[in-house]
Amino acid sequence: MDDLLAEFVAETREMLAALAGEIVAWESDPSDRARLDTIFRFVHTVKGNCGFFDFPRLEALSHAAEDALSDVRADRRAADRRLVDAVLAVIDRIGVMIEEIERGEPLSEAADDLLIAALNGTADEAELQLVQAVGGVTASASAAEQRTIRLPVELIDQVMSGVSEMVLARNDIARRIQQGGAETGIEAPFSRLSALITEVRDAITRTRMRRIEGLFATFPRLVRDLSAELGKQIFIELENGEVELDREMIELIRDPLLHIIRNAVDHGIESPADRLAAGKREAGMLTVSARQTGNTIHIGIMDDGRGIDCARLAVKAVAAGLYTEEEIAAMSRERKIELIYEPGLSTADAVTAISGRGVGMDVVRANIEKFGGTLEIESLPGEGTRFLICVPLTLSILPSLTVETCGQTFAIPRSYVEEIVSTAGGQLEFAQVGELRYVTFRERRLACVSLGTSLGLEESAAEAQLFVILRLGWGDLYALAVDRIFDHHELVIKPLSPGIMQSGLFVGCTQLDDGTPVLVLDVTAIGHAAGIPRELHRPTASAARGASRTEREGLRVILFRALCGERRAIAMSAVEQVERADASAIRNSGPDAQIVMGEEILPLVGVPGGIELPERLTVLRLGDGGEPIAYAAREVLDIATLSGVLKRVGGKPTVVGVTLVDGETAELVDCHALFAAHAAQGAVAHSLTCKLAGEDGWMRNFLGPIIEAAGYRLVEGDEAADIAFVDPSSGAEAEGTARKAIHLRSTPGEAGGADSIYRYDRAGLMAALMRAGEELAA
Amino acid sequence: MNEMLLVVMLAGRRAALPAIEVNSVIELSEVTPVPRAAAHVAGIAALRSRPLTVIDCAAALGLGAETTDWRRQRAVVVEHDGHLYGLLVEAADDIVAALDDPRPLGADPGPGWQAAALGRVETETGAVLLLDIGALIGGPGESLAA
Repeated sequence: MDDLLAEFVAETREMLAALAGEIVAWESDPSDRARLDTIFRFVHTVKGNCGFFDFPRLEALSHAAEDALSDVRADRRAADRRLVDAVLAVIDRIGVMIEEIERGEPLSEAADDLLIAALNGTADEAELQLVQAVGGVTASASAAEQRTIRLPVELIDQVMSGVSEMVLARNDIARRIQQGGAETGIEAPFSRLSALITEVRDAITRTRMRRIEGLFATFPRLVRDLSAELGKQIFIELENGEVELDREMIELIRDPLLHIIRNAVDHGIESPADRLAAGKREAGMLTVSARQTGNTIHIGIMDDGRGIDCARLAVKAVAAGLYTEEEIAAMSRERKIELIYEPGLSTADAVTAISGRGVGMDVVRANIEKFGGTLEIESLPGEGTRFLICVPLTLSILPSLTVETCGQTFAIPRSYVEEIVSTAGGQLEFAQVGELRYVTFRERRLACVSLGTSLGLEESAAEAQLFVILRLGWGDLYALAVDRIFDHHELVIKPLSPGIMQSGLFVGCTQLDDGTPVLVLDVTAIGHAAGIPRELHRPTASAARGASRTEREGLRVILFRALCGERRAIAMSAVEQVERADASAIRNSGPDAQIVMGEEILPLVGVPGGIELPERLTVLRLGDGGEPIAYAAREVLDIATLSGVLKRVGGKPTVVGVTLVDGETAELVDCHALFAAHAAQGAVAHSLTCKLAGEDGWMRNFLGPIIEAAGYRLVEGDEAADIAFVDPSSGAEAEGTARKAIHLRSTPGEAGGADSIYRYDRAGLMAALMRAGEELAA
Repeated sequence: MNEMLLVVMLAGRRAALPAIEVNSVIELSEVTPVPRAAAHVAGIAALRSRPLTVIDCAAALGLGAETTDWRRQRAVVVEHDGHLYGLLVEAADDIVAALDDPRPLGADPGPGWQAAALGRVETETGAVLLLDIGALIGGPGESLAA
């Protein structure tokens, strides 16, 4: 019974504490329905509990309050000043009673009857004075300490690690039971135990959670102080502070958040005068919100300030020598905003006391990424900036992917993993440039980084087959080559000793189900250590094409030795793939040469007539988005950036000009001319479709190929076609689905009628096709 | 009260560690190598659910010519700056009481040892070299810098 009573007291006190704010709000606006409901629920709960514990006076009081409030709720009574005062007095009185119950004292004599009378609206003025007095007396009592237990964090950690060990032990037992095979009779109790352990683990994980409110609560003051200092007016709005987050994570995001808020106040939001001039309200608005999506918390910081000044960022980037003006000019707005991440760049002209602390957004982003988070920025000029931080719910349990390289297992935080790709399906295109290998993934050329090499492990001789595509923060992708991929795990991450952290390649260590320790990779550090150059992450599709590119400075080219012995350069973005091929794959050496690459026959250029072909040669596969062309070379030499003057040369139609690269001449291949020449050779493609209706074998084998070679597309089955070939054996229904029909007959001469064509009259067939096409186009 | 010492065999010599800092002496069943770590870091192991950084003491002193096989060694588990370490030694059997406070080394104990030596301690079984756990964990690089 005592336990239950203590529970009641604690619960009531908790509700009272939560109610304190509501009461004040309700007092200022008695018509606020939501507040009224909260207070009503409170007295209702107290009344219910009193009946159980036999506190008739408390019950009578709460009952009276409930009645009065329920009348207000039902609009039978207005919440006037008197009623509000009475209700507040009752709530205070309940607080006093609860204190007395807790101390085990008999409930004090007080003017309870008066309070009830006041609630019922039957008390006179003098009595009301008393009511107020009762409330006044109790005010001090409510300041009593809250009954919660405060635990040292170490203790919780200890329990947490104990539970983690229990999970490991459970997994071990589970494996042994499975290996044993035979029925032992402990399966059922074990599965119960197992479920219990999972429950305890979840519960203890929750104890580590804290509301983000605690962190958010410090912002209004910060913003107020900063804006006062800067002479700005800024309102801050906090949303969803009740989202819960691992307390360590809260500590980790504190600094980045403060930094972003400082920036927003200092640079983002304009001075009142500027705002008025821009047609905005004088006071700026800063919104900080938190949302939980699955295992991720999204924290948004939004201001309605001037937005990021891309032009100024760009100027600074040029001034700092990070990019050339041409490069900046080619950048999209999004890409320019990304400049904010470049070390040492800031839009602020002057160093201010608030945000000019020498720590840039690059550091902020790096800090967020360090614990598996991401940072994104959106900004509209004149309208404001939005920062979105996404962090995992907890640091201690990290969804991970386990991989193997060189016989050793490692874990990768799953939030980085974009996709897993394998060469097994033959879907991947590679380009080998010097020592670096590139894989084409969704039209982006990604650098392949071998995990084994990065870690200094022995490299297996076989070419990498399996890649984990990793996304680093702002869309920077690279492909990490691994030997094997095991599984997804929910892993408990433990810190590593400083000696191991020194290498910077790992973020922590974890244990697999069987207790084996496994290192968790810092994929950001590995990517940067491997020196993945930034420009290669940009979509190649957006690059300008062919000849226009040669006019730009800083063209990235692949240098190669052509079959004729000349050193040549070709725009890197035109090269889809670099392969080795046997001379036997080439036919028709000379201008009409072709090469077999995989399952395709491609036109081959760069093969001068009358030259002895080397046994093995390098083939550059060029693409302009359409039909690819192969370019024969002896070897690939290097990649370079063209900076010198391009001199035109005569007599070589496929060369734009000659330039100097590292003191040697190189001829720049004219991709435009190559593709133009090739396109002229190719058949004129029709957009028209043909259907063959009739004697299957003949149509398909004899007629089909010549129609396809003429550039028409063949369709089968019920698919609608523009033109149908119909022979006498097939019915009229085939004709019906096509817009135009060509009738064939199997006898020469006029015997079959003028509207049909003899099936071996090739010229007639082609003319009929042409006519049909013209008629359709008309 | 005299300090208790754990006497270990290391690179064929007797040496001592302060027993109060030693959690336990275990045999390791599984050590995961750590790529790109300092040479004296043999890898990580798990002591129940906590990671244990395994230190090759001979290498830390710069004595081991070839890498030590942890399977034939025992690990002295110590906690240092909040992290658990397993110090690999050839043997760790005796706990003896120090007869007096560590004294400065009269003479150079030889290459390697100097870096991690706190001093010489007399025990019932003779004088031993008292080792500095921090220096062992730091490895040769750190002690040279110190």
